[in-house]
Amino acid sequence: MHIPVFERGIIPPDPVAPDSLKGIPRQKTNPSRWQGDNWQDFVQDLRSRGVTVCESRADCSVFMTDAGGVAYGLSHGVVRPNSAEDISKVLKAAQTHRVPVTTRGGGLTTEGESVAFGGLLLDMSSMNRVLEINTDAMTVRTQAGIFWHQLAEILRRDKLDYLSAPLNLTASVGGTLGVGGIDVNSPRLGCSADQAVALQVVTPTGNIVNCSEQENPELMERVLFGYGQFGVITEATLKIRKFTPITIQYYYYSSLRTAIEDLQFIAREDASDYSGILTILDRAITLLVAFDSDDREREFNARWKHNLRGHGEAGFGLRMAWHYLLHPWRIREAAYIIGRRFKLFPEFWRSEFMHNGKIVDRTVVFSRAVWKFWGGPQMVIPDLSSKAEKFAEAVERGNAVCRKYFRHYTLYCVGIKLRGKLPRYEMSCIPPDASDIAYGCEFEPMLRGTNYSRDYLQSFKNEIYDIGVDMGLSYYRFGGMMKGYIRRAMGNELVDKHLAMKKAADPAMILNAEVIF
Amino acid sequence: MDRHNVNTKGYEYCSGCGICLLVCPLWRKTRSMPHTRKARARALQGGATIEDIAASIDACLLCGSCEPVCPEGIGIAAMNMEQRRKLNKLRTNYPSWYPEPSGMKTRIKDNVLHNSIILIAGEYPEEDIEVRSAVIELLGGNKKVSLAVDDGRDIAGLLEACLSVTQDRIDDFTRPLRHASTLIVSEGLLHDPLRKWLPGKKVMGTGEALLSSTYIRKALGPEDLYIIECRGYHSDYERLVKFYDRLRKETGCQTNLDLQRIAIPTGASSLQAKKDIEAAGCLEQARWIIKGRSMKRIVVEDIADREVFQRVADVPVIHVGQLSQG
Repeated sequence: MHIPVFERGIIPPDPVAPDSLKGIPRQKTNPSRWQGDNWQDFVQDLRSRGVTVCESRADCSVFMTDAGGVAYGLSHGVVRPNSAEDISKVLKAAQTHRVPVTTRGGGLTTEGESVAFGGLLLDMSSMNRVLEINTDAMTVRTQAGIFWHQLAEILRRDKLDYLSAPLNLTASVGGTLGVGGIDVNSPRLGCSADQAVALQVVTPTGNIVNCSEQENPELMERVLFGYGQFGVITEATLKIRKFTPITIQYYYYSSLRTAIEDLQFIAREDASDYSGILTILDRAITLLVAFDSDDREREFNARWKHNLRGHGEAGFGLRMAWHYLLHPWRIREAAYIIGRRFKLFPEFWRSEFMHNGKIVDRTVVFSRAVWKFWGGPQMVIPDLSSKAEKFAEAVERGNAVCRKYFRHYTLYCVGIKLRGKLPRYEMSCIPPDASDIAYGCEFEPMLRGTNYSRDYLQSFKNEIYDIGVDMGLSYYRFGGMMKGYIRRAMGNELVDKHLAMKKAADPAMILNAEVIF
Repeated sequence: MDRHNVNTKGYEYCSGCGICLLVCPLWRKTRSMPHTRKARARALQGGATIEDIAASIDACLLCGSCEPVCPEGIGIAAMNMEQRRKLNKLRTNYPSWYPEPSGMKTRIKDNVLHNSIILIAGEYPEEDIEVRSAVIELLGGNKKVSLAVDDGRDIAGLLEACLSVTQDRIDDFTRPLRHASTLIVSEGLLHDPLRKWLPGKKVMGTGEALLSSTYIRKALGPEDLYIIECRGYHSDYERLVKFYDRLRKETGCQTNLDLQRIAIPTGASSLQAKKDIEAAGCLEQARWIIKGRSMKRIVVEDIADREVFQRVADVPVIHVGQLSQG
């Protein structure tokens, strides 16, 4: 099979025809390695400007893959910037010498978006200082390479907290703002990116620019949800709040659709501070509802709780027992669900993270559980995001694909409160037809101890992405689908518009260009 | 959780989540990814050699913070030591903080101690001998507690440098301890080896031993910042995290535990710190521990931490053995 090579910055017609047969394995091709033209001149240029470039095997191989563990690549060198000025020097030199630059925060992408396939890797984690906590304005100004957990540690000394961040301790602030950032409080507070008040950005041509909704708002709108295309975020001013432990209630369902309807009901009515769905296969579906204050929980109990159709744990256990008594040939599935429940749930109730019946440090508790029970050397997590009306169908179709491919998997569903029709949502994980609240679902097979081929995993992802194309949805993890799907998913007009903006902002197409373009 | 059965995985199992990095004192000090445990694992996965990551291996303080947080259950502490051991075999120039060869000799031959509790007190400076005496008194006095003359500090030094300790030396060290049921060991780095060398003995740190007494716990209050000795704590994390959580809830004292309930180390007991307390990053770590906290007193388990906090804090710093006098 002949695979044509295209010049950087040119998006060819989709390699996959819109009417191609579903389920046919299609390779997501990570870019071929950049061959290193002008690399030495580039390095010399940077060194003459006082920027250290690390080129050893040990330095580069630290970043050879991301959290997905599927895409592998080596940069030619790594820069650990200390300031926006360092990054400015890097990008100016990169434009001159046409050297690709890949930015990396926590490296928690799953499709190689933060892996450098040659060129320079900017390890932003070195820029991790909190610059100012303003308790009058309730904002924090921080370098953008900081991990959310580092930020939490510092804020907590003043009994403060950020608003919403991924349930992952080592996601970086800059990386998160570039893709959105979803928490279980996003149905109420929106994406992490929507908590940003102001940014300092180094544009692809090396200019250091401050932006906010008042100052350079166009840049602000391009950089948030911008997948690193329009600049490197070096500083962020974020909204903060007082820290509160939370109380959690769990409701159990055996029907995905019923659970989703209840999730949407809670989000629509603003009935709780946190909500989300986490499943064991599609048999044991847990709706999590949590509260920042006793008042909010009391209000929920009085006004909304009786509307939910989920069961308590004992009631659900009895129903499950009855179900499996009638379906004894599924006893292994029952054993898996029971085993999973008894391993997983105690993690949420560890006494050292509880105080007076409330969970303290929910992100630590959830993130530890996420890595312990869902993490591993390989993670494949395709997803779909949709407006409310299409969501249940999208999840059911995705669930059928999971069933077809894997014995064990999890679905994670959460709502995302939108701030109207902002330009930043265009060509992002936010579906174009969503208003008020969008919904996302991750489809995560349990890969630990398994040995699936890359082709098999890619076929699974493609089937999920096909659902998105078919239903007119969007995707949270863009990097996994962009190359093969971007035009079909987003349409030629929108893609060409963003490509033109990218070319205008980044003439040599050097900054994270492989993520989308 | 029995960590000895679980943590047998090596660097090849690292998934790169980076949670170990968040608790690493070197990360805080250098803000440089290559100095972290995650980076060492990733570099080795990518084909780097032990020599390629030598600087990072040498810089590790062996505080053990990274092991309890690893979701993959990798035996990080043992792996760090194994890598330092391999590196030792490949080089001729040792770091300046390595123990002198004279420290490797057999030290003291001790008589068998017949009390059921033995205190292995470690390195108390001359001026703090009365603190050690206070610890013995609080534990029940000389009739109940024996003080091991051989405190094994040379063994701890060799273990930290990952140089070999002869079986004869281990036998000399452990022989006097064989009749004890409980070993109270100040040097956290000796906890795990003692559990291995003397199976069945209860091994605990000085802080835990003293704070098991209600009388001593009552001397702690919300205005105290209690500094847990990190190496011993992390070596028996699953049990001790609950012990110190109960202590915190009962007394209201603050601790040096971070949001992941990992003890933030100063590194004051490390060999690097003994060479240069500032270069080892101890003062910076101590400043971070006290940042934003309101306290009237700091109570340390590790006597080496006393000097560190005295240099950065403007409140009294005492050893846990001095609590009853406070």
